[in-house]
Amino acid sequence: MTTIVLPYMLDFYPLQDEDNTRIHQFYASLREGKLTTTKCKDCGGLFWPPRVACPGCNSDQFEWVELPDEGELYAFTAMLLGAPLGMEKDVPFVLGMVQLDGTEFKVLSRIGNTKYEDCSLGMRVKLETYELEDGRVWFRFVPAD
Amino acid sequence: MKNVAIVACGLAPFGVRKATWRELVQEASKAVFDDVQNLDKKDIDSLFVGAAMPERFAFQSHVAPLVAEQVGIVPHKVVTRTELACSSGQSAVRTAWASIVTGLSDIALCLGVEKMNMPNMLETQTSMACVLEREWDGVQGASAPPFFAMCAQRHMHEYGTTVEQMAMVSEKNHHFSTTNPYAQFQKEIPAEKVLGSPMIAPPLRLFDCSGITDGAAAVILTSEERAKEFTDVPTYIIGSGQCSMASNLANYKSLSTWHPLKIAAKEAYRSAKIGPMDLDFAEVHDCFTISEIIEYEDAGFCEKGEGGKFIEEGQSNIGGKMPINTRGGLLGTGHPLGATGIGQIVEIMQQFRSTVPKERLVDGAEMAMAHNLSGAANVHSILVFGRSPR
Repeated sequence: MTTIVLPYMLDFYPLQDEDNTRIHQFYASLREGKLTTTKCKDCGGLFWPPRVACPGCNSDQFEWVELPDEGELYAFTAMLLGAPLGMEKDVPFVLGMVQLDGTEFKVLSRIGNTKYEDCSLGMRVKLETYELEDGRVWFRFVPAD
Repeated sequence: MKNVAIVACGLAPFGVRKATWRELVQEASKAVFDDVQNLDKKDIDSLFVGAAMPERFAFQSHVAPLVAEQVGIVPHKVVTRTELACSSGQSAVRTAWASIVTGLSDIALCLGVEKMNMPNMLETQTSMACVLEREWDGVQGASAPPFFAMCAQRHMHEYGTTVEQMAMVSEKNHHFSTTNPYAQFQKEIPAEKVLGSPMIAPPLRLFDCSGITDGAAAVILTSEERAKEFTDVPTYIIGSGQCSMASNLANYKSLSTWHPLKIAAKEAYRSAKIGPMDLDFAEVHDCFTISEIIEYEDAGFCEKGEGGKFIEEGQSNIGGKMPINTRGGLLGTGHPLGATGIGQIVEIMQQFRSTVPKERLVDGAEMAMAHNLSGAANVHSILVFGRSPR
Protein backbone atom coordinates (compact mmCIF):
# COMPACT_ATOMS: atom_id res chain seq x y z
CA MET A 1 0.00 0.00 0.00
CA THR A 2 3.02 2.26 0.35
CA THR A 3 3.60 4.30 -2.78
CA ILE A 4 6.56 6.58 -2.31
CA VAL A 5 6.42 9.07 -5.12
CA LEU A 6 9.78 10.65 -4.44
CA PRO A 7 12.96 8.57 -4.36
CA TYR A 8 13.39 7.46 -0.76
CA MET A 9 16.37 9.73 -0.12
CA LEU A 10 14.33 12.80 -1.05
CA ASP A 11 11.29 11.75 0.98
CA PHE A 12 11.09 13.93 4.07
CA TYR A 13 8.71 11.72 6.02
CA PRO A 14 10.17 9.04 8.29
CA LEU A 15 9.58 5.35 7.67
CA GLN A 16 7.16 4.40 10.41
CA ASP A 17 6.58 0.66 10.64
CA GLU A 18 8.31 -1.85 12.86
CA ASP A 19 10.49 -3.13 10.02
CA ASN A 20 12.12 0.28 9.82
CA THR A 21 12.13 1.94 13.22
CA ARG A 22 12.19 0.99 16.87
CA ILE A 23 9.86 3.90 17.74
CA HIS A 24 7.00 2.57 15.60
CA GLN A 25 4.77 2.93 18.67
CA PHE A 26 5.02 6.70 18.29
CA TYR A 27 3.39 6.49 14.87
CA ALA A 28 0.80 3.96 16.02
CA SER A 29 -0.24 6.36 18.79
CA LEU A 30 -0.22 9.28 16.37
CA ARG A 31 -2.71 7.34 14.25
CA GLU A 32 -4.98 7.37 17.32
CA GLY A 33 -4.59 11.13 17.56
CA LYS A 34 -2.05 11.08 20.39
CA LEU A 35 1.33 12.83 20.50
CA THR A 36 3.62 10.69 22.64
CA THR A 37 7.25 10.40 23.57
CA THR A 38 9.57 8.25 25.64
CA LYS A 39 10.17 8.69 29.36
CA CYS A 40 13.21 7.01 30.89
CA LYS A 41 12.16 4.48 33.55
CA ASP A 42 15.46 4.88 35.39
CA CYS A 43 16.10 8.64 35.57
CA GLY A 44 12.67 9.94 34.62
CA GLY A 45 14.09 11.99 31.76
CA LEU A 46 11.55 13.07 29.19
CA PHE A 47 12.97 13.63 25.72
CA TRP A 48 11.73 14.86 22.40
CA PRO A 49 11.91 13.24 19.93
CA PRO A 50 11.52 9.66 21.27
CA ARG A 51 14.70 7.71 22.09
CA VAL A 52 15.90 4.14 22.32
CA ALA A 53 18.84 5.00 24.62
CA CYS A 54 18.69 7.59 27.37
CA PRO A 55 21.07 10.52 26.78
CA GLY A 56 20.76 11.34 30.48
CA CYS A 57 21.57 8.08 32.31
CA ASN A 58 22.36 5.59 29.55
CA SER A 59 19.38 3.38 30.33
CA ASP A 60 17.44 1.70 27.56
CA GLN A 61 14.27 1.20 29.58
CA PHE A 62 11.48 3.54 28.52
CA GLU A 63 7.78 3.98 28.85
CA TRP A 64 5.56 5.79 26.39
CA VAL A 65 3.85 8.87 27.78
CA GLU A 66 1.30 11.13 26.18
CA LEU A 67 2.27 14.77 25.62
CA PRO A 68 -0.25 17.59 25.94
CA ASP A 69 -2.15 18.10 22.71
CA GLU A 70 -2.36 21.85 23.18
CA GLY A 71 0.09 24.66 23.48
CA GLU A 72 0.81 28.20 22.41
CA LEU A 73 2.77 29.76 19.58
CA TYR A 74 6.26 30.69 20.78
CA ALA A 75 7.23 31.88 17.30
CA PHE A 76 5.84 31.62 13.79
CA THR A 77 6.49 32.58 10.20
CA ALA A 78 5.33 31.57 6.75
CA MET A 79 7.07 29.87 3.87
CA LEU A 80 6.37 32.04 0.84
CA LEU A 81 9.19 31.06 -1.52
CA GLY A 82 11.68 28.23 -1.76
CA ALA A 83 9.80 25.23 -0.34
CA PRO A 84 11.42 21.85 -0.91
CA LEU A 85 10.42 19.21 -3.43
CA GLY A 86 7.01 17.72 -2.66
CA MET A 87 5.89 20.80 -0.69
CA GLU A 88 5.70 23.35 -3.51
CA LYS A 89 1.93 22.93 -3.76
CA ASP A 90 1.51 23.80 -0.07
CA VAL A 91 3.00 27.32 -0.42
CA PRO A 92 2.20 29.61 1.29
CA PHE A 93 2.09 27.78 4.61
CA VAL A 94 2.54 28.80 8.23
CA LEU A 95 5.27 27.28 10.41
CA GLY A 96 5.42 27.73 14.14
CA MET A 97 7.14 26.56 17.27
CA VAL A 98 4.49 25.28 19.65
CA GLN A 99 5.32 25.46 23.34
CA LEU A 100 3.46 22.37 24.58
CA ASP A 101 1.55 23.07 27.78
CA GLY A 102 3.51 22.25 30.91
CA THR A 103 6.63 21.10 29.03
CA GLU A 104 9.93 22.59 27.90
CA PHE A 105 9.31 21.44 24.33
CA LYS A 106 8.78 23.95 21.53
CA VAL A 107 7.78 21.54 18.78
CA LEU A 108 8.16 22.84 15.25
CA SER A 109 5.03 22.24 13.23
CA ARG A 110 2.93 23.36 10.33
CA ILE A 111 0.12 25.55 11.61
CA GLY A 112 -2.92 24.63 9.56
CA ASN A 113 -6.39 26.18 9.06
CA THR A 114 -5.00 29.70 9.32
CA LYS A 115 -3.04 32.41 7.56
CA TYR A 116 0.14 34.12 8.72
CA GLU A 117 -1.75 37.40 9.12
CA ASP A 118 -4.23 35.77 11.50
CA CYS A 119 -1.60 34.29 13.84
CA SER A 120 -0.14 35.97 16.92
CA LEU A 121 2.47 35.14 19.55
CA GLY A 122 0.89 33.17 22.37
CA MET A 123 -2.02 32.02 20.20
CA ARG A 124 -3.56 28.76 21.45
CA VAL A 125 -3.16 25.80 19.11
CA LYS A 126 -4.15 22.14 19.28
CA LEU A 127 -2.84 18.95 17.72
CA GLU A 128 -4.33 17.54 14.55
CA THR A 129 -3.17 14.30 12.97
CA TYR A 130 -3.70 13.26 9.38
CA GLU A 131 -2.93 10.50 6.94
CA LEU A 132 -0.43 11.02 4.13
CA GLU A 133 -1.35 9.93 0.62
CA ASP A 134 0.64 6.72 0.98
CA GLY A 135 -0.98 5.76 4.29
CA ARG A 136 1.67 7.02 6.68
CA VAL A 137 0.56 9.38 9.43
CA TRP A 138 1.73 12.86 10.42
CA PHE A 139 0.74 15.80 12.59
CA ARG A 140 0.30 19.53 12.60
CA PHE A 141 -1.26 22.09 14.89
CA VAL A 142 -4.31 24.23 14.20
CA PRO A 143 -5.90 27.17 16.08
CA ALA A 144 -7.61 25.86 19.23
CA ASP A 145 -10.74 27.99 18.90
CA MET B 1 50.85 24.89 22.67
CA LYS B 2 52.61 25.19 19.32
CA ASN B 3 51.79 28.30 17.30
CA VAL B 4 50.29 27.76 13.88
CA ALA B 5 50.25 30.26 11.03
CA ILE B 6 48.41 30.74 7.79
CA VAL B 7 50.99 31.48 5.12
CA ALA B 8 48.97 31.73 1.92
CA CYS B 9 45.41 32.33 0.78
CA GLY B 10 43.42 32.29 -2.42
CA LEU B 11 39.87 32.56 -3.74
CA ALA B 12 37.81 31.45 -6.67
CA PRO B 13 35.25 34.16 -7.52
CA PHE B 14 31.95 33.61 -5.66
CA GLY B 15 28.69 33.78 -7.60
CA VAL B 16 26.45 31.88 -9.97
CA ARG B 17 29.40 30.35 -11.74
CA LYS B 18 29.52 28.75 -15.16
CA ALA B 19 31.89 26.19 -13.69
CA THR B 20 31.72 22.74 -12.11
CA TRP B 21 32.63 21.71 -8.54
CA ARG B 22 36.06 20.45 -9.64
CA GLU B 23 36.74 23.58 -11.68
CA LEU B 24 36.10 25.75 -8.62
CA VAL B 25 38.59 23.56 -6.74
CA GLN B 26 41.23 24.18 -9.41
CA GLU B 27 40.63 27.94 -9.37
CA ALA B 28 41.10 28.20 -5.60
CA SER B 29 44.14 25.94 -5.80
CA LYS B 30 45.74 28.09 -8.48
CA ALA B 31 45.05 31.22 -6.44
CA VAL B 32 46.59 29.86 -3.23
CA PHE B 33 49.70 28.49 -4.95
CA ASP B 34 50.13 31.76 -6.85
CA ASP B 35 50.11 33.46 -3.44
CA VAL B 36 52.74 31.36 -1.71
CA GLN B 37 56.47 31.75 -2.10
CA ASN B 38 59.15 29.01 -1.89
CA LEU B 39 56.72 26.13 -1.47
CA ASP B 40 57.15 22.87 -3.32
CA LYS B 41 53.79 21.07 -3.56
CA LYS B 42 55.60 17.88 -2.48
CA ASP B 43 56.04 19.42 0.97
CA ILE B 44 52.30 19.55 1.61
CA ASP B 45 51.75 16.48 3.74
CA SER B 46 48.10 17.02 4.68
CA LEU B 47 44.84 18.00 3.01
CA PHE B 48 41.59 19.08 4.63
CA VAL B 49 38.62 19.67 2.33
CA GLY B 50 35.70 21.69 3.68
CA ALA B 51 32.57 20.67 1.80
CA ALA B 52 29.03 20.58 3.13
CA MET B 53 27.03 18.63 0.58
CA PRO B 54 28.97 17.52 -2.49
CA GLU B 55 26.81 14.36 -2.45
CA ARG B 56 23.77 16.52 -3.08
CA PHE B 57 25.15 19.36 -5.16
CA ALA B 58 27.75 17.52 -7.25
CA PHE B 59 26.69 13.85 -6.74
CA GLN B 60 30.17 13.15 -5.46
CA SER B 61 31.41 11.64 -2.23
CA HIS B 62 35.00 10.79 -1.19
CA VAL B 63 36.01 14.24 -2.33
CA ALA B 64 39.40 14.62 -0.61
CA PRO B 65 41.31 12.38 -3.07
CA LEU B 66 39.56 14.11 -5.95
CA VAL B 67 40.77 17.46 -4.66
CA ALA B 68 44.29 16.11 -4.06
CA GLU B 69 44.51 14.98 -7.67
CA GLN B 70 43.06 18.22 -9.08
CA VAL B 71 45.51 20.22 -7.00
CA GLY B 72 48.49 17.98 -7.75
CA ILE B 73 49.51 16.86 -4.27
CA VAL B 74 50.08 13.51 -2.57
CA PRO B 75 49.11 14.12 1.04
CA HIS B 76 50.73 11.44 3.19
CA LYS B 77 50.04 12.46 6.80
CA VAL B 78 46.36 13.39 6.89
CA VAL B 79 43.81 13.48 4.11
CA THR B 80 40.18 14.08 4.96
CA ARG B 81 37.03 16.08 4.42
CA THR B 82 35.28 18.07 7.13
CA GLU B 83 31.51 18.54 7.12
CA LEU B 84 29.71 20.89 9.47
CA ALA B 85 27.14 22.40 7.12
CA CYS B 86 27.74 26.15 6.90
CA SER B 87 30.92 25.85 9.03
CA SER B 88 32.53 23.11 6.93
CA GLY B 89 35.27 25.49 5.75
CA GLN B 90 36.29 26.69 9.18
CA SER B 91 36.17 23.05 10.32
CA ALA B 92 38.87 22.22 7.77
CA VAL B 93 41.10 24.95 9.20
CA ARG B 94 40.37 23.99 12.82
CA THR B 95 41.26 20.38 12.06
CA ALA B 96 44.44 21.32 10.18
CA TRP B 97 45.42 23.58 13.07
CA ALA B 98 44.99 20.74 15.55
CA SER B 99 46.98 18.41 13.33
CA ILE B 100 49.90 20.85 13.13
CA VAL B 101 49.76 21.57 16.86
CA THR B 102 50.19 17.88 17.62
CA GLY B 103 53.10 17.61 15.19
CA LEU B 104 51.28 15.09 13.01
CA SER B 105 51.17 17.47 10.03
CA ASP B 106 53.85 19.90 8.95
CA ILE B 107 52.25 21.77 6.05
CA ALA B 108 48.52 21.52 5.35
CA LEU B 109 46.31 22.72 2.54
CA CYS B 110 42.73 23.61 3.50
CA LEU B 111 40.35 24.00 0.61
CA GLY B 112 36.67 24.84 1.02
CA VAL B 113 34.26 24.50 -1.86
CA GLU B 114 30.57 24.35 -2.71
CA LYS B 115 28.71 24.27 -5.99
CA MET B 116 25.11 25.14 -5.11
CA ASN B 117 23.54 26.48 -8.30
CA MET B 118 22.02 23.59 -10.21
CA PRO B 119 19.86 23.40 -13.34
CA ASN B 120 16.87 22.69 -11.08
CA MET B 121 17.06 24.97 -8.01
CA LEU B 122 14.31 22.95 -6.34
CA GLU B 123 16.98 20.31 -5.76
CA THR B 124 19.17 22.84 -3.97
CA GLN B 125 16.29 24.00 -1.80
CA THR B 126 15.39 20.42 -0.96
CA SER B 127 18.96 19.62 0.04
CA MET B 128 19.16 22.72 2.23
CA ALA B 129 16.15 21.47 4.20
CA CYS B 130 18.14 18.42 5.36
CA VAL B 131 20.60 20.66 7.22
CA LEU B 132 17.93 20.84 9.92
CA GLU B 133 16.65 17.63 11.54
CA ARG B 134 14.99 16.26 8.43
CA GLU B 135 12.66 13.72 10.08
CA TRP B 136 11.14 16.13 12.60
CA ASP B 137 11.80 19.71 11.49
CA GLY B 138 12.68 19.58 7.78
CA VAL B 139 9.62 17.41 7.19
CA GLN B 140 7.37 20.27 8.29
CA GLY B 141 8.82 22.45 5.54
CA ALA B 142 11.36 24.22 7.68
CA SER B 143 14.69 25.34 6.29
CA ALA B 144 17.01 28.23 7.03
CA PRO B 145 14.80 31.23 6.10
CA PRO B 146 11.82 30.26 8.31
CA PHE B 147 14.10 29.41 11.23
CA PHE B 148 15.94 32.74 11.12
CA ALA B 149 12.63 34.50 10.49
CA MET B 150 11.40 33.17 13.84
CA CYS B 151 14.65 34.32 15.49
CA ALA B 152 13.95 37.78 14.07
CA GLN B 153 10.36 37.71 15.30
CA ARG B 154 11.45 36.82 18.84
CA HIS B 155 14.27 39.40 18.84
CA MET B 156 11.87 42.09 17.65
CA HIS B 157 9.33 41.00 20.27
CA GLU B 158 11.77 40.84 23.18
CA TYR B 159 14.09 43.76 22.40
CA GLY B 160 12.24 46.04 19.99
CA THR B 161 14.61 45.40 17.09
CA THR B 162 13.16 46.72 13.82
CA VAL B 163 13.11 45.61 10.20
CA GLU B 164 14.75 48.95 9.36
CA GLN B 165 17.73 48.06 11.56
CA MET B 166 17.95 44.65 9.90
CA ALA B 167 17.92 46.33 6.48
CA MET B 168 20.88 48.49 7.56
CA VAL B 169 22.97 45.35 8.05
CA SER B 170 22.24 44.35 4.46
CA GLU B 171 23.03 47.86 3.19
CA LYS B 172 26.38 47.91 5.03
CA ASN B 173 27.51 44.49 3.86
CA HIS B 174 26.42 45.09 0.27
CA HIS B 175 28.32 48.37 0.39
CA PHE B 176 31.48 46.54 1.47
CA SER B 177 31.03 43.94 -1.28
CA THR B 178 31.09 46.67 -3.93
CA THR B 179 34.83 46.78 -3.14
CA ASN B 180 35.20 43.02 -3.60
CA PRO B 181 35.60 41.66 -7.13
CA TYR B 182 35.27 38.13 -5.73
CA ALA B 183 31.77 38.84 -4.33
CA GLN B 184 28.52 37.50 -5.76
CA PHE B 185 26.79 40.88 -5.33
CA GLN B 186 28.74 43.99 -6.24
CA LYS B 187 25.98 46.59 -6.31
CA GLU B 188 24.79 48.90 -3.57
CA ILE B 189 21.54 47.76 -1.93
CA PRO B 190 20.16 50.72 0.05
CA ALA B 191 18.01 49.90 3.07
CA GLU B 192 14.86 51.08 1.23
CA LYS B 193 15.52 48.49 -1.46
CA VAL B 194 15.90 45.76 1.17
CA LEU B 195 12.57 46.79 2.68
CA GLY B 196 10.91 46.74 -0.74
CA SER B 197 12.26 43.35 -1.81
CA PRO B 198 10.01 40.26 -2.00
CA MET B 199 9.05 38.63 1.29
CA ILE B 200 10.63 35.19 1.72
CA ALA B 201 9.60 34.24 5.27
CA PRO B 202 8.19 37.18 7.24
CA PRO B 203 9.77 39.34 8.54
CA LEU B 204 12.70 38.34 6.29
CA ARG B 205 12.78 39.67 2.74
CA LEU B 206 15.00 38.67 -0.17
CA PHE B 207 17.86 41.05 0.72
CA ASP B 208 17.78 39.96 4.36
CA CYS B 209 19.04 36.60 3.09
CA SER B 210 22.44 35.55 1.79
CA GLY B 211 22.56 34.09 -1.70
CA ILE B 212 22.86 30.61 -3.11
CA THR B 213 26.42 30.63 -4.25
CA ASP B 214 29.16 28.69 -6.02
CA GLY B 215 32.68 29.32 -4.81
CA ALA B 216 35.91 28.02 -3.37
CA ALA B 217 38.65 29.32 -1.08
CA ALA B 218 41.96 27.95 0.14
CA VAL B 219 44.64 28.58 2.75
CA ILE B 220 47.95 26.90 3.62
CA LEU B 221 48.92 26.34 7.26
CA THR B 222 52.20 25.49 8.91
CA SER B 223 54.00 25.94 12.21
CA GLU B 224 55.35 29.28 13.43
CA GLU B 225 58.88 27.92 12.97
CA ARG B 226 58.43 27.49 9.23
CA ALA B 227 55.96 30.30 8.49
CA LYS B 228 58.46 32.96 7.42
CA GLU B 229 59.81 30.65 4.69
CA PHE B 230 56.56 31.09 2.83
CA THR B 231 55.31 34.63 3.50
CA ASP B 232 56.49 37.89 5.01
CA VAL B 233 53.22 38.38 6.89
CA PRO B 234 51.89 35.17 8.43
CA THR B 235 48.50 35.18 10.14
CA TYR B 236 48.63 33.31 13.44
CA ILE B 237 45.82 31.34 15.06
CA ILE B 238 45.74 32.62 18.63
CA GLY B 239 42.43 31.38 20.02
CA SER B 240 39.49 29.09 19.44
CA GLY B 241 36.04 28.25 20.75
CA GLN B 242 33.28 26.03 19.51
CA CYS B 243 30.00 24.81 20.97
CA SER B 244 27.08 22.63 19.88
CA MET B 245 23.81 22.83 21.79
CA ALA B 246 20.57 21.05 20.76
CA SER B 247 19.57 19.90 17.34
CA ASN B 248 15.81 19.46 17.31
CA LEU B 249 14.19 22.90 17.45
CA ALA B 250 11.91 21.72 20.26
CA ASN B 251 14.92 21.69 22.58
CA TYR B 252 16.10 25.29 22.07
CA LYS B 253 16.27 27.46 25.16
CA SER B 254 15.89 30.63 23.12
CA LEU B 255 15.78 31.94 19.57
CA SER B 256 16.86 35.48 20.42
CA THR B 257 19.91 34.56 22.53
CA TRP B 258 22.30 32.10 20.97
CA HIS B 259 23.70 30.34 24.02
CA PRO B 260 26.22 28.18 22.11
CA LEU B 261 27.67 31.38 20.63
CA LYS B 262 28.11 32.86 24.10
CA ILE B 263 29.95 29.72 25.21
CA ALA B 264 32.14 29.55 22.08
CA ALA B 265 33.00 33.26 22.30
CA LYS B 266 33.90 33.04 25.98
CA GLU B 267 36.28 30.17 25.28
CA ALA B 268 37.74 31.89 22.20
CA TYR B 269 38.56 35.05 24.19
CA ARG B 270 39.85 33.05 27.16
CA SER B 271 42.19 31.00 25.01
CA ALA B 272 43.44 34.11 23.17
CA LYS B 273 43.77 35.91 26.51
CA ILE B 274 41.77 38.89 25.24
CA GLY B 275 38.38 40.51 25.65
CA PRO B 276 35.99 40.96 22.73
CA MET B 277 36.82 44.63 22.27
CA ASP B 278 40.54 43.85 21.91
CA LEU B 279 39.72 42.62 18.42
CA ASP B 280 40.24 45.18 15.66
CA PHE B 281 37.57 43.71 13.38
CA ALA B 282 35.52 40.56 12.97
CA GLU B 283 34.13 38.33 10.26
CA VAL B 284 30.80 37.01 11.55
CA HIS B 285 28.23 34.72 9.97
CA ASP B 286 25.56 37.02 8.50
CA CYS B 287 23.58 34.32 6.70
CA PHE B 288 20.61 36.59 7.45
CA THR B 289 20.55 40.19 8.65
CA ILE B 290 19.13 39.17 12.03
CA SER B 291 22.07 36.79 12.52
CA GLU B 292 24.57 39.64 12.49
CA ILE B 293 22.50 41.63 15.00
CA ILE B 294 22.29 38.70 17.43
CA GLU B 295 26.01 38.04 16.93
CA TYR B 296 26.96 41.62 17.90
CA GLU B 297 25.31 40.86 21.22
CA ASP B 298 26.24 37.28 21.95
CA ALA B 299 29.85 37.66 20.76
CA GLY B 300 30.11 40.50 23.28
CA PHE B 301 30.46 43.58 21.07
CA CYS B 302 27.43 45.25 22.71
CA GLU B 303 24.92 44.65 25.49
CA LYS B 304 22.13 42.11 25.02
CA GLY B 305 19.25 43.65 23.12
CA GLU B 306 21.30 46.51 21.71
CA GLY B 307 22.34 44.89 18.43
CA GLY B 308 19.82 46.97 16.50
CA LYS B 309 21.20 50.16 18.00
CA PHE B 310 24.76 48.98 17.24
CA ILE B 311 24.12 48.90 13.47
CA GLU B 312 21.99 52.05 13.59
CA GLU B 313 24.86 53.98 15.21
CA GLY B 314 27.34 52.68 12.64
CA GLN B 315 29.36 50.83 15.27
CA SER B 316 29.90 47.86 12.95
CA ASN B 317 31.23 50.04 10.16
CA ILE B 318 34.84 51.10 9.66
CA GLY B 319 35.47 53.81 12.24
CA GLY B 320 32.91 52.26 14.61
CA LYS B 321 33.60 50.19 17.71
CA MET B 322 33.95 46.91 15.79
CA PRO B 323 34.08 46.81 11.99
CA ILE B 324 32.16 43.72 10.89
CA ASN B 325 32.29 41.82 7.61
CA THR B 326 34.51 44.16 5.62
CA ARG B 327 34.66 41.81 2.61
CA GLY B 328 30.87 42.05 2.33
CA GLY B 329 29.81 39.23 4.61
CA LEU B 330 27.68 36.36 3.42
CA LEU B 331 25.00 38.86 2.42
CA GLY B 332 27.25 40.60 -0.08
CA THR B 333 29.81 37.96 -0.95
CA GLY B 334 27.44 35.00 -1.12
CA HIS B 335 27.46 31.81 0.92
CA PRO B 336 29.03 28.78 -0.77
CA LEU B 337 28.76 26.67 2.40
CA GLY B 338 32.13 24.89 2.43
CA ALA B 339 34.01 27.92 1.10
CA THR B 340 32.51 30.56 3.40
CA GLY B 341 34.63 29.99 6.50
CA ILE B 342 37.86 29.97 4.52
CA GLY B 343 36.76 33.04 2.52
CA GLN B 344 36.44 34.90 5.83
CA ILE B 345 39.97 33.86 6.82
CA VAL B 346 41.28 35.05 3.44
CA GLU B 347 39.85 38.50 4.28
CA ILE B 348 41.54 38.50 7.68
CA MET B 349 44.90 37.58 6.17
CA GLN B 350 44.57 40.23 3.45
CA GLN B 351 43.59 42.84 6.05
CA PHE B 352 46.71 42.00 8.09
CA ARG B 353 48.77 42.28 4.91
CA SER B 354 47.00 45.56 4.00
CA THR B 355 46.25 44.23 0.53
CA VAL B 356 42.48 44.82 0.58
CA PRO B 357 41.16 47.94 -1.22
CA LYS B 358 41.66 50.95 1.03
CA GLU B 359 37.90 51.69 1.23
CA ARG B 360 37.56 48.63 3.45
CA LEU B 361 40.98 48.53 5.11
CA VAL B 362 41.04 48.41 8.91
CA ASP B 363 44.29 50.26 9.24
CA GLY B 364 46.86 48.76 11.59
CA ALA B 365 44.70 45.81 12.61
CA GLU B 366 46.49 43.31 14.85
CA MET B 367 43.72 40.92 15.91
CA ALA B 368 40.51 39.63 14.37
CA MET B 369 38.12 36.73 14.60
CA ALA B 370 36.22 34.54 12.17
CA HIS B 371 32.86 33.23 13.32
CA ASN B 372 30.55 30.74 11.69
CA LEU B 373 27.28 29.33 12.80
CA SER B 374 25.93 26.19 11.23
CA GLY B 375 22.51 24.64 10.80
CA ALA B 376 19.83 26.37 12.80
CA ALA B 377 22.44 28.36 14.76
CA ASN B 378 22.95 25.41 17.10
CA VAL B 379 26.69 25.20 16.43
CA HIS B 380 29.00 28.18 16.67
CA SER B 381 32.67 28.08 15.69
CA ILE B 382 35.22 30.82 16.31
CA LEU B 383 38.88 31.18 15.47
CA VAL B 384 40.89 34.19 16.67
CA PHE B 385 43.78 35.43 14.56
CA GLY B 386 46.72 37.72 15.24
CA ARG B 387 49.44 39.40 13.19
CA SER B 388 51.75 38.19 15.96
CA PRO B 389 51.91 34.76 17.61
CA ARG B 390 50.61 34.35 21.15
